Order: sequence, then structure tokens, then C-alpha cells
Amino acid sequence: MGAHLDRLVEGVDPHLNVQIHEAAEGTTGPRRPVILLHGFASSAKLNWEDAGWITALTQAGRRVVTVDLPGHGGSPAPEEMDAYSPSRIRADLLQLVQNAHVRPLKDGDDATGVDIIGYSLGARLAWEFGATQPELVRRMVLGGPSVHDPLADFDLPAAQRYLADGTPIEDPTTAELLRMAKLVPSNDLYALLTMIEAIKIEPFVPSDAVPHMPLLLVAGEKDELARTAEELARLSGNAEVLWLPARTHANAVTSRAFKNAAIDFLAN
Amino acid sequence: MAEISFPLPDLGEGLIEATVLEWLVAEGDRVERNHPLVEVETTKSAVELPSPQAGKVVKIHGEPGDTIKVGDPLIVFEVPDDTAGIVGTVPKEEAPKRRVRLSPVPDED
Amino acid sequence: MSEHMTLGDLDAAQANREAADAAQAKGHAETVTAPAAAEGAEGRVETLSMQQALNRALADVMEENPRTVILGEDVGRLGGVFRITDGLQARFGEQRVFDTPLAESGILGMSVGLAMAGYHPIPEVQFDGFAYPAINQIVCQVGRMNYRSRGTLPMPITLRVPSFGGIRAPEHHGESLESLFAHVPGLKVVSPADPEQAYHLLKHAATRPDPVIFMEPKSRYWQKGPVNVGGAGFQPGGSRVARTGKHVTLVAWGAMVARCLQVAELAAEDGIEVEVLDLRWLKPIDTAGLAASVSKTRRAVVVHEAPLTAGLGAEVAALITERCFGTLRAPVERVTGFDVPYPSGDLEDEYIPNIDRILFGIQRVLEYRRG
Repeated sequence: MGAHLDRLVEGVDPHLNVQIHEAAEGTTGPRRPVILLHGFASSAKLNWEDAGWITALTQAGRRVVTVDLPGHGGSPAPEEMDAYSPSRIRADLLQLVQNAHVRPLKDGDDATGVDIIGYSLGARLAWEFGATQPELVRRMVLGGPSVHDPLADFDLPAAQRYLADGTPIEDPTTAELLRMAKLVPSNDLYALLTMIEAIKIEPFVPSDAVPHMPLLLVAGEKDELARTAEELARLSGNAEVLWLPARTHANAVTSRAFKNAAIDFLAN
Repeated sequence: MAEISFPLPDLGEGLIEATVLEWLVAEGDRVERNHPLVEVETTKSAVELPSPQAGKVVKIHGEPGDTIKVGDPLIVFEVPDDTAGIVGTVPKEEAPKRRVRLSPVPDED
Repeated sequence: MSEHMTLGDLDAAQANREAADAAQAKGHAETVTAPAAAEGAEGRVETLSMQQALNRALADVMEENPRTVILGEDVGRLGGVFRITDGLQARFGEQRVFDTPLAESGILGMSVGLAMAGYHPIPEVQFDGFAYPAINQIVCQVGRMNYRSRGTLPMPITLRVPSFGGIRAPEHHGESLESLFAHVPGLKVVSPADPEQAYHLLKHAATRPDPVIFMEPKSRYWQKGPVNVGGAGFQPGGSRVARTGKHVTLVAWGAMVARCLQVAELAAEDGIEVEVLDLRWLKPIDTAGLAASVSKTRRAVVVHEAPLTAGLGAEVAALITERCFGTLRAPVERVTGFDVPYPSGDLEDEYIPNIDRILFGIQRVLEYRRG
């Protein structure tokens, strides 16, 4: 998709890795694209492609746009912290939507607006993006969501000490997030830590801006990070919640029930 | 009819095993190639494995929660005997088509 | 290589030709292509695909010689990706039909050891392009051990290689390595064109003391034809006149024989009688058979899938020129693949010699004028 230099939202093109997957041949579905936002230390490939979402959505007749967040997957990992701040990423998403020639929502025209599916950190970004761009976003599915950003509590000095000399990390959430981050060889650990620094400066405060379009919140029953999903639903006042039996934050993402619910929800 | 067995494939990055989360096909189902087969979880992530083969599922290995090692049997298909190898397709027998015509043979000297 | 074997094969070729000449003299030209099927007294004519014919031949040699073993990738439990060894492990056991790791150098290295220990291994390299990792073993050991040991360590190895293109497969699954193998002293190279040839040539190769590279035309695996199962009288040596004609000889092997027979049929509509010579043995080449055919037609076109440069067509052209220079009415024409890596499946039809390219080749030798 061609970014026009004279139309850059933030003045600088972040060159994020954006991929478009057209609806499967012979299928029919709403023409508006579905934008997929992956979680922290994951990527469009891991979170969506390998987990079967691209196939499921395109087979359901949807056009899918994926994006790797800065420092993740095939996107650049700039040195400066500003590139990773949630506000900057929201601007990058607006750029992406603009480059995709998305028009504001118009009743009865299924070629207008976008739908969004976000997981974990992607759900937080979607919440904020939907709240600030109500004329563009029609419906959203938020997976593994929480009122509280686990990355805000990440023990950055402990992680840095661990990486420097192997000192064990006490906080279990920090240790687990770092373990997951290290397992993906393509991850740029220093970029990820920079992103955490940026997120600590702009922590998630869901009540600051509340999206009012219909939401579907989905989480595993064993997802420790998404215990507070019901609180988000109450804040929204326009949300359904789906709990996936036996699933955790790490494995809810492949769930067929999750995919089917999301596809149905976005088709309405 | 012949049976083809597929093991749990190498999921990369030194992962040696995966846990079955949920089967998306059942024994007796007919599936197309690339149809989602099973969700499995490794220490790294959860993935949905697409079918490497079209055919009828005759056996699946592992209940949800079971751990399968890379290389151990995952699924068995029944396929017609005359399907091609795992690679390539059976060429179709077509009537020969031509555009070139030959001129008569010149007189022998 | 034991020299008498080579000569024996060529003697058989000579016998073939004499039978052909005799039949032609009687006006029964068609019967020369398959004298065994025509006689058929001791065997039974069945309609089989090449796949089935090869499977049957392997079962026969396994049955006859308990020192015959089959090894390769997926040849055991799966029965081979092309089902050529289907059912053989169940029938002959895991000691005699066994799967190997994905290491062609190991498959051939193990075959050399087995041959040294008195076995008759029939290794399979799953696809043509997978033979490259085993070239060292094929050239330095399979081809030379007999020579190196002054005849004390023969290498009765029949290396089956599903070969050539035509099945829309990815890289390394459509290549033609005959000139590579034919260039190696000590190896014999053969390629069958139809189920009858496949059955008998494989049985012949697998019961000989010499190493044979057996190139199976994988695009022809599924076509059916009559096979005189178990019948004697098949002439395994030399080339084979697959169709008689008087204006031009098409020389081909493997999958190209069937295509040349189609071309001959089309050329007949234009009044051109094409002789199709199925070369069969690509090492040693049946020089006398080539000369006999081209002396009659005085024109020759060699057709192969392999790239042009240093392909086996060059060798065939040289042999024809050496023997028939005086009678040739035109330089030998070559219609071949191109000097590029074998293309992806979508482009295969542009690469493999097609009917029109072969017809053009014929036209060029027909209209050639000296000076």
C-alpha cells in the first residue's frame, strides 16, 4: 500500500510490515477490512497466521490486514523510545487505515470503516484506537483483555539485570513475559524492553477513553491476565463477554470457538 | 485404498513436543489439503496445524491435554491408491495437439 | 564393470535387430517391438501401470533371490511416495525392505557395503534431484569398486531413480541426470518407456552383477499397458524400434518415447513416416542399433528433456555421425530442454520438448540442403 509522503499522520513513515490477505475466492462477506493487532512479543505471523486466523477469516469472506508492531516481526526496531509509545502506535494505525483508503462509516455501506481484532497488548491498542476513532471503527473483538496493562508492572530493572548477568527475576509476570519474549528468535529484546519503558510512561487507563461501538471480549477461563475482562465490559456498556473453557492467555488464541465467535460477531 | 500417516511436524526453534489443545477433525471426516486439523501448544505459542493431505481421516493420535513428541504419529489418512506421490500431480492423458505441419519429403537423390 | 556383460547386452541387441529385420521382411513390422508379448507362451499378458509393473518386478526378484534388499526414504512403511514398493515390507519383512534416514549419501554408502557383503541392494533415491548428495558414492565407489578390486568386489546395485519432469513438482523433482550418470565409467544407465519395458528391464538390471542406474520416467507411472508377466523371450539388451518408418529416425528414451510416438502419428498425416528408436540403454549406447536405423532413414532427431549443452543428445549425434556420415542427408538435430535450471511446475510445458518443437526438428532435417 503506497504511503503518500504529504499525508503522513506523524510526519515520519515507520515502515511497519503490513500485509493484506484478500478474501478467499468464491466467498462473500462485508467488504470492510479486518485489522489484526497482535500481542506483546508476538507477531502477525505467530499471533494470527500460525494460529489459523488468516485462513479462518479469509475463508469467511473477509479481507484481512495485519501489521507487525514496531520492534516485532518484520517491522523495524528503531532506537528512540517514542516509536514504541502507545500514542505513536495509534497514529501509525491511523496511517495504516488511511493508506488502505478506508472511508468513514456510513450506514448500510459495508465498504466503509474497519473491524478490528486485537489480542492482549493489541486489545489495549484497539480499545484506545476505537475510542478515539469512532467514525472509522465499526466493531471490535478484544482477546485476552484486561483493565490493567501487565506491561506497566513489568520489572524493567530486574529484566535488565537478568539479561546482563543472569540475576533471577522475582516477579513471576515479568519472568514469564521475558521467557516468552526470548523464545521467539526474531524478537529484538532491547526493542521490546524499550517498548515497555514507553508503555510505563503511557499506562493503560481504560476509563480515559471508552469505545462505544459493539465489543466482543474473549478470554480463556484460565487466563490470569484477563481476570478483569468483565470490568472492561461494564465500562463499555456495549460488550459481550465469551469465556473459553480450559484456555490460558497463551493458548486461547488458536481456539476455534474464539474464531467462530469473532467471525459471527463481525458479520452482524 | 492406501493409508498415509503423518507425524507431528517440526515446529521450529528446537521445540521437541507439543500439547494437543483441540482436534478440529474427527475420525471418518473427509478433509481437503490445508484444512485446519488440530490446535497444539508448544512452550512458545499455540498454533493451528493445517492438513498436509487431502483424504479421509482414519486415525487421530492424542486427546486434548496429551503431549506428542515431534516425529511421533499425529494423524492417518486413507487415500486412493492412484494418487500421486506426496509431491506432484498425476499428469492428464490428453489428445496430442499440434500447430506445425510438415512439408512433403523432397525427392531422394 | 565386467566387460563381457556389456558385450552380452550388445549381442542381445544384435539378436533383437535380426528378429526385427526378419519380421520386417515378412511384413509384420509391428510385432518386432514386443516379441515377448507376441509369443507369450510361458507368461501371462496383464494390463498394468508402470507403477504396478515395477512393483511386480521388485516382488519377483525379491522372491527369486533372498539376498536382494530394498532400501531408501519411505520405501518401507509408506511403500514409496510413488507406491513402487507398496506392500513389499509387509511381504518380505523389515530386514529386506527398510526405510533409511534422509541422507542419500548414506543410502548409497550402505548399498556399497551391502554389495561388498554379497547382497543385491536395490536402493531408491526418492527424486532425481536428491541424487546430487550421493554423487560421491555413485562415482567413487559404485562405479569403481569392481575395477579397483580387480573384479573381486562387483557392485550388483540397481539404483532406482524416479526421473525426468512432467508432474508439476517443485525444484529437484523434475531433473534429467542421464548424461551425468552416463559419463561415469563403470555405471550402466537404462530408462524404460512403458510398463512392459519397465517390468523386464528392472528384473534384468536387478539380477546382474553390474551397477545399473534405473531411471524411471515418473510422468509415465500411471499409464497402463500390456505386460507379459514372467514370460521369457524379452530382449533386454540394446535399443528397441518402437515404430518403424523410412523418412526420419526420432531417438528418445524414458517419457519422451511416448511423445515421439504421438509425433510419429501426427507426421504420418502429412505423409512423413517416422521411425521411433527407444534407446533404452543410455550407457552403453546401442551404437549398432542407432546406425541400423539411421542408415535406413538417413535423417535423425534426438529428443530429450535434459538441457541441450553436453546432454546425451550430443553423444548420440556424435555416434550417428561417426557411423553414418556418408549417408546422412542432414546434420543430426537435437530437440531438448533448455540450458536453465529445471523450471517450476507452471512452466514445465514450455521446457519439456513438446509436439510442435519435435515437429519443427523433423522439418529442419527434412528441408536441409547441402551448400
